[in-house]
Amino acid sequence: MEEILKIVFDVVSFSCIMVLIVSGLAIIASLMGIFNFAHGEFVLLGAYVTFLFQAMGLPVGLGMVCAPLFVGMFGFLLEVSIIRRFYNATIVAMLATYAIGLIIRELTRGALSGRFWKVSEPIPGLFQIGDMSFSIWRGVIIIITIIVMYGCYYFLTKTLFGLKIRGAMENPSLARASGISTTRLYAFTFAFGAALAGLAGALMVPLYTLFADLGLRFLVMAFLSVMLGGVGTFEGPLLGSAMIGAMVPGFQWIREAPVIVDILSPIFSEVLVFIVAIIIVKFRPQGLIKRGRI
Amino acid sequence: MKDKKANFKRLPLLEAIILGFLVVAPLFLSDFYTVILTRMLILCLLAISFELCWGYSGIMTFGQGLFFGMAGYAVALLANKVGFVQIWGVIPIGIFVGTIVSFLLAWLLLLGKKAPEIIFVALGTLTFSYAAERLVSGWYYVGGGNGLSIFEFLSFGSYEIEPGVLFYYIAGIALLVSYLLSRYLVRSQLGLVLAAMRQDEKRLLFLGYRVRGFKALVFTFAGAVAGLGGALYAHHEGFIGPNNMGIGISTMAVLYTLFGGVGSLIGPLIGVFALETISFTLSGVDAFKSFWPVILGAILLVVVTFKPDGLTGFIVSRRERIGTFGRIDKKEKNGRKETKD
Repeated sequence: MEEILKIVFDVVSFSCIMVLIVSGLAIIASLMGIFNFAHGEFVLLGAYVTFLFQAMGLPVGLGMVCAPLFVGMFGFLLEVSIIRRFYNATIVAMLATYAIGLIIRELTRGALSGRFWKVSEPIPGLFQIGDMSFSIWRGVIIIITIIVMYGCYYFLTKTLFGLKIRGAMENPSLARASGISTTRLYAFTFAFGAALAGLAGALMVPLYTLFADLGLRFLVMAFLSVMLGGVGTFEGPLLGSAMIGAMVPGFQWIREAPVIVDILSPIFSEVLVFIVAIIIVKFRPQGLIKRGRI
Repeated sequence: MKDKKANFKRLPLLEAIILGFLVVAPLFLSDFYTVILTRMLILCLLAISFELCWGYSGIMTFGQGLFFGMAGYAVALLANKVGFVQIWGVIPIGIFVGTIVSFLLAWLLLLGKKAPEIIFVALGTLTFSYAAERLVSGWYYVGGGNGLSIFEFLSFGSYEIEPGVLFYYIAGIALLVSYLLSRYLVRSQLGLVLAAMRQDEKRLLFLGYRVRGFKALVFTFAGAVAGLGGALYAHHEGFIGPNNMGIGISTMAVLYTLFGGVGSLIGPLIGVFALETISFTLSGVDAFKSFWPVILGAILLVVVTFKPDGLTGFIVSRRERIGTFGRIDKKEKNGRKETKD
């Protein structure tokens, strides 16, 4: 029982990270029709900024605050200089974002000198509920995600700017005709999506090791969560990422069965997650939750 | 129809020049450079495989490296564990592995209940490439992060084919055959369907074509070509590692093709020769080495943004690259003439 609760807690905190990543990805995709292949690298950048703060001896928490700002700024500059050219050629845009991702990834690889790094948790330690103890940092991640997601929801539904975004999502030309500058809107939204990815990267880096292919890994995971959960819903990716998050320790447990342990190396469980996810998608392409509202 | 200007074709000329150069190249190149050039020829197979998918049928794939690497690993395992290095076995096995793996992927990604979106296929293949790379780098049976070395030379009977002039011509013939087959494929009526698929998939669906089937077909064929490349690569380099089967090499396939020029089969070849030559000539510089991947990314970005036609775009017009498809029926041809008259 205790074990299961602990796993559930871990899975929930993992899902929270995925939610931050996926919502950034989704808001860009649904507003501009561009699938951002560099999104994983934005996550990586967020993590890297946090690492830089630690390396310079500044508090890690401050790095986590600055990371989304920095990545958001970076996303804004990228949109203004490059992404903007591709709004009427979304497939080519995919290649362009892939190229951007490649550049960021390789630059970071150089900066990290190809090694694995550890970033410490800003609030270390455990907290107790009854006689079970949980990692404080994971709890903080869950709380921050809930606050940020609620903020996004409030922003999109209750503010004038959010209304403009929703309008532009529904009908861009009508929005332009009504005097809304979609150009500025797009730049802002891209920056916002990037900032969410940066935040996710900053928050999760203490739980993982920092290496250059981190972004790629999270891009793949985000893709699988969306496909598993169902495209175009809010709960879908949440459920999908929870499944992926649950599968990792699940397969780890299977792997420790006496016969299989000789055959399977630890990496298998991760690879198996990908394969199982793709096979589920194959037989249930609409995802677990069918497209309904939004 | 005998308009002289329209009949002047630059593309076949370009193909002939490259073919001519490749045929005579080993005669005046030293052994060292012949080996380098052989490697490029093998990488050309990879590039062609990507071009068939993206340039001709509009399937964005980051999986070509996977087929390439799988075939390479298959023949390397065969050489290491069984000691089988016969060329008449190695090449069919490479093609077979490439075909099977790509068919499996096509089945998973392309032949679904609903029509696959470009993004879905791109990310799906990316996922598999990434997963495969992780898998082989952590699986000690296949060498883990160190990869597999092949210690014996590829051989025919008891004759050993060392990397050199003979291997060069074998790779050259493999490339030529794949090139001609692909050329025949994309210039046939099937190629017309593929081009239509690239241009407007929905319309083709409405016309009653089974778009998914065609996609799976060309994807599998491309996989076979990549598999052939992978098998030759493993034996030529005497080594195959995780770097030869994951995202990295898949990205290279994309780069070769886009840099050389999408939409013609000769473009990817030019891309391979150009990029590999640059990489080889500058490989002595240390600062360059660490920044090469970054430069590659920048090249990709510049090509996509400013010159989507790639290098061949400077030489061959877009109209010529689209070209004609298959033979026109005599009847139809006559009909056309009559209306013209």
